[in-house]
Amino acid sequence: MSNTKVSTYRERVEYLIGNSMRFAGLYGTGQGQSVASVFVDQSGKAMLELCEVVDAKVPSIVDIVPAAQWDEREAHDLYGIVFEGHEPLRPLVNHDSRLEKWTVATTGGDVYQVAVGPTHAGIIESGHFRFHVVGDRILHLDTRLFYKHRGLEKASETKDLTSGIEYVKRACMACSVANGLSYAHACEVILGLRPSMELRRVRTILLELERLWNHLNDLAQGCAGVGMAVGNAAFCYLVEQARQINNKVSGHRFLAGSIRVGASSISVDSQELEVLSGLLSEMRTSVESHWRELTFNSSFQDRLQGVGILNREKALKLGIVGPCARASGIIQDARNGCDWLAYDDFQPVLTREGNGDVKSRFEQRIEELWQTFDLLDGLLSRPISPANCDPTGVPAPVGVGIVEGARGQTTCVVESNGASIGRLHLRSASYANWPGVACCSVGNLLPDFPLINKSFELCYACVDR
Amino acid sequence: MFTLIRDLSKVRKLIDLDKPTMRKSLSIRHCDAGSCNGCEHELSLLSSPCYDFQRYGLSIVASPRHADVLLVTGTVTRTMREPLLRAYSSMPEPRKVVALGDCAIDGAVLGDNDIIIGAVEEILPVDLTIRGCPPSPDQVIDGMLELLATLGPK
Ligand code: SF4
Repeated sequence: MSNTKVSTYRERVEYLIGNSMRFAGLYGTGQGQSVASVFVDQSGKAMLELCEVVDAKVPSIVDIVPAAQWDEREAHDLYGIVFEGHEPLRPLVNHDSRLEKWTVATTGGDVYQVAVGPTHAGIIESGHFRFHVVGDRILHLDTRLFYKHRGLEKASETKDLTSGIEYVKRACMACSVANGLSYAHACEVILGLRPSMELRRVRTILLELERLWNHLNDLAQGCAGVGMAVGNAAFCYLVEQARQINNKVSGHRFLAGSIRVGASSISVDSQELEVLSGLLSEMRTSVESHWRELTFNSSFQDRLQGVGILNREKALKLGIVGPCARASGIIQDARNGCDWLAYDDFQPVLTREGNGDVKSRFEQRIEELWQTFDLLDGLLSRPISPANCDPTGVPAPVGVGIVEGARGQTTCVVESNGASIGRLHLRSASYANWPGVACCSVGNLLPDFPLINKSFELCYACVDR
Repeated sequence: MFTLIRDLSKVRKLIDLDKPTMRKSLSIRHCDAGSCNGCEHELSLLSSPCYDFQRYGLSIVASPRHADVLLVTGTVTRTMREPLLRAYSSMPEPRKVVALGDCAIDGAVLGDNDIIIGAVEEILPVDLTIRGCPPSPDQVIDGMLELLATLGPK
């Protein structure tokens, strides 16, 4: 952690970005007296820049780091910090404002607005989309989330580090392992603990099982997005199987509660292991055959190609993460070089034509599914037993945990206050990627939006917290 | 065309199909009032081939105006209060409310009390609760069938 004066803050950020550091979040801290920003170097090491807030003001960095847009808006709404130069500083969490305050003004004879949500026609989380449209084409999209803001970060303050995981767990069920791991790792850094080899293996298995059901779900949703009921049914069946596997391993269909600070109590004996491996290899065969059918189904493929393109340049600018970034040709995966999980020889894969359209986002997930099956195959080679951490002897006041979840990089910062939480900040992959959905929808047909949205398949819950 | 509709029972005699035994159905409108998204992920498997809830007369409808049941997930946040009440008031009577999952039933387990209202029952009359975190799809179907059994002619 390093402290920066207001006068040199922007210079410092420019220097870090110029030296290949990636932005990974920004938040208000110290009761709004400081702004902390997280940067990650190429080996995955995180560093925290702390800038003091003077007269409730701090210079904005959005022109240097466009990815910080939502973060600054959030810090403004939660702590009243004004980011000078961020104009207009639209509300994000705060819903007590008029339409003109949080939407982009669009004018012209043929422009009209289509408002969707917060409640939806199917089983979808609550959130509002305001489309500015000309004919059937999307001119601009304003997304309004945070209907489900539950104040989990604030509520976790003063709780002890071990029980803080409950708050992170409640943020989002679909990412409970990724979020939980990022928190657990941050706490272990604070406590001066290092996961044993066995703990690394268990955690990696859990993280890959979470990726497995999520990617299968994304493919099911993709089929639903083009109205292909049979594909949806086929992949939903696999999602059900994957949840049953999760239940076998952890006693919970979403693996919730399987991540703890400093330890794991999961055990799988050799008999159970054999059953698991059998189920996984059957599943792999099914995915292979379903994917083959989808590949040669032209009515499915025709809907994907060239739709919702997020090119590499835009994806880099917006700080997109995970499979969606890789589908745009960005070779970045937090599993690469992660030395506290069991990803020893991990290399990120990229789909052949990573031009960032809906098609490449689906293909990217398939590529990653093969990788996940391979990883699980290797990791499940012997029974799993309860595991612990070893002391490193070097505790720290602040810990940062970075995890590659199913949707991409999740960052959790924990500032300790003795043995309890001083400030907890969770920036999930969905948080990073929502601006990408809005950006790549522009110029597309409104009826294609559900498909574009499903090709990202982001959570609302872990953004809203 | 209209004659055909009037004579539907006669028309159907041409087809050799048993009368359906399921005499009742429920149209469900889902509303997420502040969930962690686990309840939604389980709900979205209801229509999967393993559960196929439509064979029990259950379906998810696209508007509260078409719904018999408002199925609410999550603890109710202040921001979701209005949309939730609006969904309820758009429903034709008789209407039922189901609180799905521990959050919807118990309210703010965790979270900031200033921005959370709590359990669904704080603002709406709840007719049925389905426990679980999240309830699995079969538990959801069981709960809905329990509700269905209490409604209409026996
Ligand atoms: S009951 Fe459990 S799964 Fe459902 S919204 Fe609450 S925390 Fe999530």
